Amino acid sequence: MPLSTDLYKRAKPIWDAQLDHPFVRGLRDGTLEIERFKRWVLQDYRYLKEFARIFAWAVAKADRLEAMGWYAKVLDLTLNSEMALHRSYAERFGISAAALEAEPMWPTTRAYTDFLVRTSADGDMADLLAALLPCAWGYVYIGGELANGDPPADQRYADWIAQYASPEFAAAADWLKGELDRVAAGAGEEKLQRLQDLFVLSSRYEWEFWEMCWNGEEWRP
Amino acid sequence: MSFCSAQLARVRPLWDRMLAHRFLRDTRDGTISDERFAVWMRQDYLFVEAAIPFIAALLARAPERHWEPLAGIITALGKELKLFEERAQAVGVDLRGAPPAFANHAYIQFLMATAYRASYAEAYTVLYAAEKAYHDSWKAVQAGLARDSKWYPFVENWAGEAFTQYVTYLEGELDALAEQAGSEERSRMGTYFELTTKYEIAFWEMAATGEGWPGG
Repeated sequence: MPLSTDLYKRAKPIWDAQLDHPFVRGLRDGTLEIERFKRWVLQDYRYLKEFARIFAWAVAKADRLEAMGWYAKVLDLTLNSEMALHRSYAERFGISAAALEAEPMWPTTRAYTDFLVRTSADGDMADLLAALLPCAWGYVYIGGELANGDPPADQRYADWIAQYASPEFAAAADWLKGELDRVAAGAGEEKLQRLQDLFVLSSRYEWEFWEMCWNGEEWRP
Repeated sequence: MSFCSAQLARVRPLWDRMLAHRFLRDTRDGTISDERFAVWMRQDYLFVEAAIPFIAALLARAPERHWEPLAGIITALGKELKLFEERAQAVGVDLRGAPPAFANHAYIQFLMATAYRASYAEAYTVLYAAEKAYHDSWKAVQAGLARDSKWYPFVENWAGEAFTQYVTYLEGELDALAEQAGSEERSRMGTYFELTTKYEIAFWEMAATGEGWPGG
């Protein structure tokens, strides 16, 4: 069994718990309050900035030119296209670019992104990919599941689902899965356990991210 | 055969070339000039300084069982710096102000790039190969150097029993890491082993020639 399949099986209960989270269920049926979703728009913008750094580390750590180029392309797309798309999308909720930039990172966003960037810096390519995949692949998983039903009436939610259910996102997740399987080939028990721990931990952070956006969060004190 | 034994056997021609280097031979025979030895002292002092962040970078990503040993290496490197300072003062060598020579600079960058970019097992390979190289090199010097030589404290440092035990410990840990590595990673570990050996030879060559940077 490829490593990515094994990781998926182990994390599936957490991924399914994400599908069952009221935030995600609300997206599916369109009942999610806009105020809750705006939290996601604001925090995800901060998340994306840090997410880009992971790809910078991936370029630095990749073992072959094709992989370096792929990560470099994603880095470029994230910084020079997706951030702008995110800003346009935010405008549809009345959130200005200035508001996005001024948004403080909430504790969960901070903890999750610090974990990702630290793992990318400290770990090798397999570590980086195991920590990264629950976001890249998890959103495809959730987008795909949500796209199975009727689209929500709010076009903004429907567009969100369509984006993550798109073939482009699925192809990117597949490529990352293949890379993890390749670079981790032949890894020993200790290493496999570490990769599993990273994958499960990131999956848990994904759930926490929905939870944060559902409840709202702040730094105390 | 263990990973370390296999690598040492594989790079044996390189390893023998290192041990037979004229800098080591002349030091062993007591014929090396003070000026030539001072070149090595200044450069190796810089290298030991740079090894501290290398070990710290390794420690940052090490499994828990390596935390104390790696922290101990940092302390030992601090003591090595003191040894250099003490010897330099005793023989009137000024350690300050020398820029790293090209070979030294390249070796230091290699250490840090490995610590940041390669896998932990690969970076640990560099640590072991460098320490094993110094152990064996100074053992070769010990074979002939008079005990009352002013350079003997360096022999005691790297060819002494404590350092031998330390290198043996590193060997056991590296063999264990190699056991856990996949075939591709183990192959890269071998490449790092060989490259580190080459840098060690380049370091002795730099000390013997007093070369600075290519092109002046």
